[in-house]
Amino acid sequence: MKEKFLGFERLDGTVGIRNHLLVMSITGLTGPIARKISLNLPGSLLIDNPYGSGILGVDRLRQDRAMIGFGNNPNIGAVLIISGDPPKTEAIKKGINKTGKIVETITLEDCNHDSISMFEKGIRLGAKLMLEISRKRRSLHHVSNLFVGLECGRSDPSSGMVANPIMGLIADYLIDLGGSAVIGETTEWLGAEHLLVKRAKNNQVKEEILNAVNFQKNLAISNNVNLLGNNPGYTNIEAGLSTIEEKSLGNITKSGTKVIQSVIDWGEKPTIDGMHLMHAPAYAPESLSGFSAAGCQLIFFSTGVGNSFNNHISPSIKISANPKTCKKLHEQLDFKCSQVFEGKKTLYHASDELWEIFIDICSGTRTWGEILSESTEVFSRIGRSL
Amino acid sequence: MNTNNRVYDAILLNPIDNVITSIRSLKKDQVINIKVKEKIIKIRLIDDIPICHKISINEIKTGENIKKYGEVIGIAFNFINKGSHVHIHNVKSLRS
Repeated sequence: MKEKFLGFERLDGTVGIRNHLLVMSITGLTGPIARKISLNLPGSLLIDNPYGSGILGVDRLRQDRAMIGFGNNPNIGAVLIISGDPPKTEAIKKGINKTGKIVETITLEDCNHDSISMFEKGIRLGAKLMLEISRKRRSLHHVSNLFVGLECGRSDPSSGMVANPIMGLIADYLIDLGGSAVIGETTEWLGAEHLLVKRAKNNQVKEEILNAVNFQKNLAISNNVNLLGNNPGYTNIEAGLSTIEEKSLGNITKSGTKVIQSVIDWGEKPTIDGMHLMHAPAYAPESLSGFSAAGCQLIFFSTGVGNSFNNHISPSIKISANPKTCKKLHEQLDFKCSQVFEGKKTLYHASDELWEIFIDICSGTRTWGEILSESTEVFSRIGRSL
Repeated sequence: MNTNNRVYDAILLNPIDNVITSIRSLKKDQVINIKVKEKIIKIRLIDDIPICHKISINEIKTGENIKKYGEVIGIAFNFINKGSHVHIHNVKSLRS
């Protein structure tokens, strides 16, 4: 089994599997201009934070941390910040600069509040950055440099029985080699938390797991949400999942068997290697952006009936074990393992095959999601705006 | 395994489970094979079963736990005959 991939080494020692220019609008007013700039710099990635000065308290902390996290993700070669808020621009720039990454900024104030001038400046500055990062070459690096997110979306029973356990084998192997992984989707720990708790590193982590599950359960209760119809949702139920316990027990198999080192918040970077839990929403866009803000270079994403959504910064390897889905979605699934579901191949055989694809994608082979550009980043929110 | 030889039609994940999961669409009155501890056992279906859905492998009384993965996934709120479709019409969560 290959243990090395061709990646882009960054100044802080992290290793990217992609080398993108990130055009990041950090204020809602500048989003449309940033979109035009990014469209005119093919290959650049756009992040468009729709919020602004009204963001308060924990939301502000989480959004600022996420914007810095997106910029610092090892897959990003340079960042062009587009903004209507000079002090905030400096703060985000400073956060990203800490890793030595190239950051350029343009504020509306620099352009006499003229959007056309901002557009022109953005193209010039962005083009210069794209030339600069294109000089970067890939070199061989060990998989211990990798931090992967583990996601499932539009799940069915085959996800929990086959696709997720294969991801669990990959996670175990990666962690044995010194890498890291994370699962999120707290609601989908409900009914399986007794199994997660057994793997907690210490009592504190155990408490944090139970508190997170209780928080999510109470959130549903206080909003009069019956999980049936919400999670499992309509698509899950139609595909054969009957209860949240059934979904959760299948969900957590993607976390493998290793010790759970910590429970982190949405978009928070773990401080040690190994397996982590992110206490975060279950719906894919929010969940995936939490992973890329935390620094994941790549995401393994299983689906039962199909799910075309991908993360923007971290390529997503789409996996399905459902025989019907595997027959239908050729330009969505990067790895098909329905033969395991049908008993024609073992989980171990399939995980070895997936490992090879994983190394290839880390070295530059593109995912369907990248080719079709079915991706974005979103910001998680908790409270109201001022 | 010979791919033309349909040795089994559904998966039992854990020996203590009382439901299995179909690996293909199955029809009422069909007799299906499942593998339990290396032995093949037969069950006659009393419902149509879509792919990936659950089937009871014995009678399940009202209020009894439904087990999959060797874990409790909910309880029966109706009596469930052997070979039935097991889903939201007869199982409910203990947690939601």
